[in-house]
Amino acid sequence: MRVETIRAAGSRPADIRHDDLISAKGVSVVMTRQLVLQNIDLSISKGSFVSLIGPSGCGKSTLLKVLAGLVNPTSGSVSIAGLSPVEAARKRMIGLVFQDANLLPWKNAVDNASMLLSIADESLSRADLRACGHEMLELVGLGDSAHKRPHELSGGMRQRVAIARALALDPAVLLMDEPFGALDAITRDSMGQSLLEIWQRTGKTIVLVTHSIDEAIHLSRHVHVMGIKPGRITGSLDIGLPYPRDLSLEEDPQFVRLLVQLRTMLRASHKPGGAS
Amino acid sequence: MSDQPVTNLSESRPALSWGAVTGSWLPAAILLLATIVVWEAVVRIFAISAFIIPAPSEIAQSLVAQWGTLMQATLVTAGEILFGFLVSIVVGIAIALVIVRFDWLGRALYPLVVLFQNVPKVALAPIFILWFGYGLAPKIGLILVIAFFPVTLSMLAGMQSVDRSLLSLMNSVGASPTQILFRIRVPHSLPNLMAGTKIAATLSVIGAIVGEFAGASDGLGYVIQFASTQLDTALVFAALLLVSVLGIGFYYAAEVLERIIVPWAPKFSHA
Repeated sequence: MRVETIRAAGSRPADIRHDDLISAKGVSVVMTRQLVLQNIDLSISKGSFVSLIGPSGCGKSTLLKVLAGLVNPTSGSVSIAGLSPVEAARKRMIGLVFQDANLLPWKNAVDNASMLLSIADESLSRADLRACGHEMLELVGLGDSAHKRPHELSGGMRQRVAIARALALDPAVLLMDEPFGALDAITRDSMGQSLLEIWQRTGKTIVLVTHSIDEAIHLSRHVHVMGIKPGRITGSLDIGLPYPRDLSLEEDPQFVRLLVQLRTMLRASHKPGGAS
Repeated sequence: MSDQPVTNLSESRPALSWGAVTGSWLPAAILLLATIVVWEAVVRIFAISAFIIPAPSEIAQSLVAQWGTLMQATLVTAGEILFGFLVSIVVGIAIALVIVRFDWLGRALYPLVVLFQNVPKVALAPIFILWFGYGLAPKIGLILVIAFFPVTLSMLAGMQSVDRSLLSLMNSVGASPTQILFRIRVPHSLPNLMAGTKIAATLSVIGAIVGEFAGASDGLGYVIQFASTQLDTALVFAALLLVSVLGIGFYYAAEVLERIIVPWAPKFSHA
């Protein structure tokens, strides 16, 4: 009952609006005879920052892969600016960041940053790629580590290169799957802060999968809570806090209120349920 | 509480000097020297006949006396090893690339490669002599069948251990299988490949000697066989010593190559 009330207060209309960049309608995914995602409706407007949060096994990573075109939905449809996710990815509209930076150890930071771009657009010269790599490293705050190899970088710095690599494609959407999950709390904070700055500077649409309630509230404009068995969206919450946000946000009474609210929603989402 | 000082003691001990000593060549050199001294002493004290176990001094005399012959044989064997080793690397890499790039061909080829690996290669030596005569060719063939396998296997392991999410990234921008192969899988496999190459270097030495045993008129394997029929055991040992030197030489050459080709490999990262 309590979940229902919260959802009623915070949910966004499911119908697709004009400025929606990403829209998923009735997306279900069946993998090895298991219903991983059930009837997902999602609409994300251009320039928004949306987080997907939920317990392990709720299919939030799978949903991100569906949006990225890496997993085909068993039923339902996804469109990104009117294109299928695979078409959108081929047009360099999708930037991906995973928990592991997955940098190539034989390339330095600049070449790693421009690695995907070099494959997406083979007409670019080495000099163009370098220039773009440098520019992206500057954007993520790694301008002076351009020539370092991955093993000379810290975990946070490696993840910054991974973000630069995604941004180098100049994508419309940045899809991030627990990008800060392997980092320590302090690094995590500063990475979140940098991500907000990058978001505000570039105007990208960001979809972030996270485990962290703090992170979801801190960074995003909307949070979708997902539940398990089957994986589904159990509730959504608008984070009305104004940007720019920084770490002092945590002392804001509204932040605390949202934290409690989201925690309650998450607790309910841990219980397996049917279509409700 | 009581076991805390013990922990501290055991931790402080290796820090004193053992690490520095065991890390150097010194212990190995001391053990080698001690072995030679004991060997010499035992042979002299028990008056063991030179054709059963020659003393190190006798081996050294033989080495000096037959220096010209031995050097000539060493050059021949070294040539076989080098040639066979390079052919093994090229063929081993080619097989691995084909298996990874062409899925259906890989599924056909891989079980056969594994099956072939279980054939005792040494037993092929007489057949190779029959087919290719007494020259260089049967030795190269034998080295190839003995040494290509670790190259293929290690490179395959490296190419197939690329992280899935990295492949996802590549796929999302529409990378072709060939692009993924040459820009990700092959460079990613190089540290593994170099490890396989070092094993292949050692196996190449064995292949060359076995090839010479089966039929040759030159080389260290031939010298070993000839000398043993003459009961010139000192010469056998002298030739064995040179075979070992060759083996070590090729192994370290492969190691130097490794440092040049894969300076990013994990084992060098923190050196």
